[in-house]
Amino acid sequence: MTATLMESGAVVERTDVRQPGTAAVLRSEWLKLTTVRSTWWTLLATFVLGAGLTVLLCWGNAEWLASPEADESPGSFITWGMMIAQITAVVLGALVVTTEYGTGMIRTTFAAVPARGRVLAAKSLVVVALLFVVGTITALVGYVGGNYFLDREGIGMALEGDVLRAMYGSGLYLAGIGLFTVAVGFLLRHTAGTISIVLALMLILGNMVNLVPGEFGEWLTKLMPGNAGSAISTPVSFNPDLLEPWTGFAVFGLETAALLLLAWVMVRRRDA
Amino acid sequence: MIRAHQLTKRFGDRNAVDGIDFVVEPGRVTGFLGPNGAGKSTTMRMILGLDAPTSGTVSVNGHRYAASPAPLREIGALLDAHAIHPGRSARDHLRWMAASNGIPTTRVGEVLDLVGLDSVAGQRAGRFSLGMGQRLGIAAAMLGDPPVVVLDEPVNGLDPEGIRWVRTFARQLADEGRTVFISSHLMSEMALMADHLLVIGRGSILADCSMTEFMTDHAASYVRLKAPALGDVANLLSGRGLDVTRVDDEVRVGGLDAASIGDLLFSRGLALHELTLVRSSLEDAFMALTADSVEYHATSASEGAAR
Repeated sequence: MTATLMESGAVVERTDVRQPGTAAVLRSEWLKLTTVRSTWWTLLATFVLGAGLTVLLCWGNAEWLASPEADESPGSFITWGMMIAQITAVVLGALVVTTEYGTGMIRTTFAAVPARGRVLAAKSLVVVALLFVVGTITALVGYVGGNYFLDREGIGMALEGDVLRAMYGSGLYLAGIGLFTVAVGFLLRHTAGTISIVLALMLILGNMVNLVPGEFGEWLTKLMPGNAGSAISTPVSFNPDLLEPWTGFAVFGLETAALLLLAWVMVRRRDA
Repeated sequence: MIRAHQLTKRFGDRNAVDGIDFVVEPGRVTGFLGPNGAGKSTTMRMILGLDAPTSGTVSVNGHRYAASPAPLREIGALLDAHAIHPGRSARDHLRWMAASNGIPTTRVGEVLDLVGLDSVAGQRAGRFSLGMGQRLGIAAAMLGDPPVVVLDEPVNGLDPEGIRWVRTFARQLADEGRTVFISSHLMSEMALMADHLLVIGRGSILADCSMTEFMTDHAASYVRLKAPALGDVANLLSGRGLDVTRVDDEVRVGGLDAASIGDLLFSRGLALHELTLVRSSLEDAFMALTADSVEYHATSASEGAAR
């Protein structure tokens, strides 16, 4: 389509045009994600940490868990590795956004796709899809390996109910963390800053608010994104005071949505 | 065609681009010349919708860039050779760009051929030299076969062969009838590449004219001569209707070449001590034009020592 040249110098707003479609932007973001090695290294780390540590912890604790002295449930161990694997989801979510800002490639991206909201949406979608699939597979492999050792002590769990929910719940939680980090990445536009802030929020601050006294502290603990969101990824949580899995995940989802909305507003407003 | 109208960009309390008007016409190479910090890159980013103008408008092919249906088919841009993920191969970089605008993948191979990177297309872009990076950037700009091409400092860091290649390439694009807009802070480079000049300094347009006009207007040449009988010489030459200026112990003559002046004075038996053609270069002309608008002045060594 060729535009009419306006001799008057007036700028014509074109309304008849279609921007690069959402499908095209999605395909391009998928290509970006799958054509750098860091993606694959990060996902390999997700798998090795998530499944490996679960199996290791189940192997090491099976005997104790089966004994009368045990004061924890085997259900807290069957997805144990996901607690560590969530770090890799943070890294992936950050890299997808912040390396573009770090290298200046974001200008190439926004020049190719001026509808910045679509870039944010497409990045979010590919991260969510990839992390959900990898997270769920990782949890399943961890379950199969870990449950083998629990079974030997007679405390094995069937893949149903809360255990089954924890499998795709692990996928959901990793996807949520990745999405949360994508939003932070668009806001901070800096790799190290994004990763440290999200990790500090999830892992350190999430535990420290425990120290705030009274009911206020309890609620603060329940509502912290990492605490609210992670309950869905395990059949039995180590911390009995957390929100119910789906309630917690809904809270985490709302927090993520709020952050994404802020990122969407800012990315459209700021100069690239 | 690119058209700016009262285009302004304010950073803090400083106007990086200060209400400029210009038109970049198709079919010729327009050089966008200015010292560092003059507002060249800011202007180019506004053309591409990356920076929002504080006020004023800029349009590409008659409309705002961000309203373009397939932006890469409308305008190709080389903004920054480093605007590439170092871990991604050249081919993959072009593939995602093509995908985003619905450009067929076959075009990727074509532009790689065009810039001569086909043999290293599988290599990670982080291993590329500056020159290869610039070529990849130009390949990316040409992906959509756009009628408008914008290149920000394309010869930066290129070796002579690469500079020559960019020059020929820009010429070819203009000859094909495209709008070619190239920024540089090097006058010498522009002199060889551009048909039309847009000189910017401190956010304002200082000159908007053809290269030839710019040379006539700003790059003056004269013959400097020294002689024992300077008064007689000056009278003789001004009597001939030449443009004569007396400066200290020399006379500057315009309008006649050095050899003819020498012959003329010899025929009158006037002795000469010096006869020199002085040509102020385009570089000098550019420096003179932008002298007041350079953001950061270097103190010369002698000046510095005197303080």
